[in-house]
Amino acid sequence: MSVVSLVTITVSLVVFGSFLLAVINLGNIASLMGSKMEIVAYVDRDIDSLGINSTVNEMSKIEGVAEVKYITKEKAWETFKADYEGRLALGEIVRENPLPNTFVVRVKSPQMIGAVAKKISNMTTIDEVRYSGNLADRFQTLLDAVRISGMVLVFLLIVATLLIVVNTIKLTVMARQTDIYIMRLVGAANSFIKWPFMVEGLLIGVIGSAFSFIILKFSYDLVVYEVNNFLPFVPMITSGYQLFWVYLSVCLIGVFLGMIGAYISVNSLLKENV
Amino acid sequence: MIVLRNATKVYANGVEALSGVDLCIGKEEFVFIVGPTGSGKSTLLKLLYREEVPTSGQVLVDRLNLSDIKPSQIPFLRRNIGVVFQDYKLLPTRTVYENVAFALQVMGASRTYTRRQAGQALELVGLLKKANCFPGELSGGEQQRVCIARAIANNPPLLLADEPTGNLDPSTSWEIIHLLDKINKRNTTVMVATHNKSIVDGMRKRVIALEAGRVIRDQQLGVYSNVF
Repeated sequence: MSVVSLVTITVSLVVFGSFLLAVINLGNIASLMGSKMEIVAYVDRDIDSLGINSTVNEMSKIEGVAEVKYITKEKAWETFKADYEGRLALGEIVRENPLPNTFVVRVKSPQMIGAVAKKISNMTTIDEVRYSGNLADRFQTLLDAVRISGMVLVFLLIVATLLIVVNTIKLTVMARQTDIYIMRLVGAANSFIKWPFMVEGLLIGVIGSAFSFIILKFSYDLVVYEVNNFLPFVPMITSGYQLFWVYLSVCLIGVFLGMIGAYISVNSLLKENV
Repeated sequence: MIVLRNATKVYANGVEALSGVDLCIGKEEFVFIVGPTGSGKSTLLKLLYREEVPTSGQVLVDRLNLSDIKPSQIPFLRRNIGVVFQDYKLLPTRTVYENVAFALQVMGASRTYTRRQAGQALELVGLLKKANCFPGELSGGEQQRVCIARAIANNPPLLLADEPTGNLDPSTSWEIIHLLDKINKRNTTVMVATHNKSIVDGMRKRVIALEAGRVIRDQQLGVYSNVF
């Protein structure tokens, strides 16, 4: 009987946990996508130090620009290689440095980014301008959508799980109706009658939490491993601290669901036959 | 010990089980409640151990108004009332001893107290030798004696019996009634709801007769029926 509630509680906790993991990872990606205040301008041709200085000066004069930095393509390539060290055999894929020389322009406020980018792209030295503002915005919208729909989903799941736990424990209580009737008759306090069922609820919660923790941990570790192998440029959260909080909240919700479920069902049944 | 003032009980389905019952039962009395099926005997007992609450009127047990007590106090009321049933209500998966001890354990009694009281109760009903049997292995009369042992294990001042001989043959019925009489002589108030005419007539105790929820007769040294 309680296998049903155990499975339900485990399944909803796994869904809840997966959702949490997805949200923190998407949030992480969004924050790494660069601040919405940065513009990168590429120069394909080689450029001498004089050209660099004059371009930096010219850019700094544009209204709304806070800071201009120049990154040579060699340096960019080194950083890139260092980032993917051991994950991608870059040397085998590309022999020559495919990266352009880059100016990184920080603007004073995100509202100005469009205008600044336009002015920079009009400059003759610059070949291409990119800024992540739009993309980051869109990503943020997507993230919000995921978060809201996830919350609705999790809420529904929690309600469903609670109902199932309540009903399974109700069945156990009903199966022991005679015992309970006799207990009440000989003067057992309500708490004395309740605690075995509360323990049962707690146990369902604890075991369900443990199962879902194991499932979540293994599948997330697997996902991280696969993503690192095949999509190394997607940053996955591996910090123990953040993951600890995800797993902890999953387990706490499991225990809470079990306890509350038991409490509700026992209370409603005991009230029915005072 | 027990006072009912104009107690009326109407069940949710509209059946009026008791109407305007006035009663006064003293300490250490032995009382038979008689009347045909549906006359309100069981309801009267249920009011006393507060399985039911009167729709109107008052029920006082040991000066305690049962309509006023909080749900959390009900267990403490019941620890002072032993109840015996027609169908025994024993736990089939527990031994005779465990069934009796169970009643003491739920009150939070210590192990020593439980062992002593359960032992005494089983000795009183003459079942100490069958302490390790299961209810299914006992005869009806023996099961009823286990039920009585459970009801008196805590030495409650009041013992209520609802048709205790309803399922038993005449000679076993007499054994049970004599046992209840013996318990009454140990300073316990005993109320027995029954429609067993020969027992009521043979015992000549106080008889309260109910009909359609009303007390139609209350007689010391009474008999089952005045109509012969």
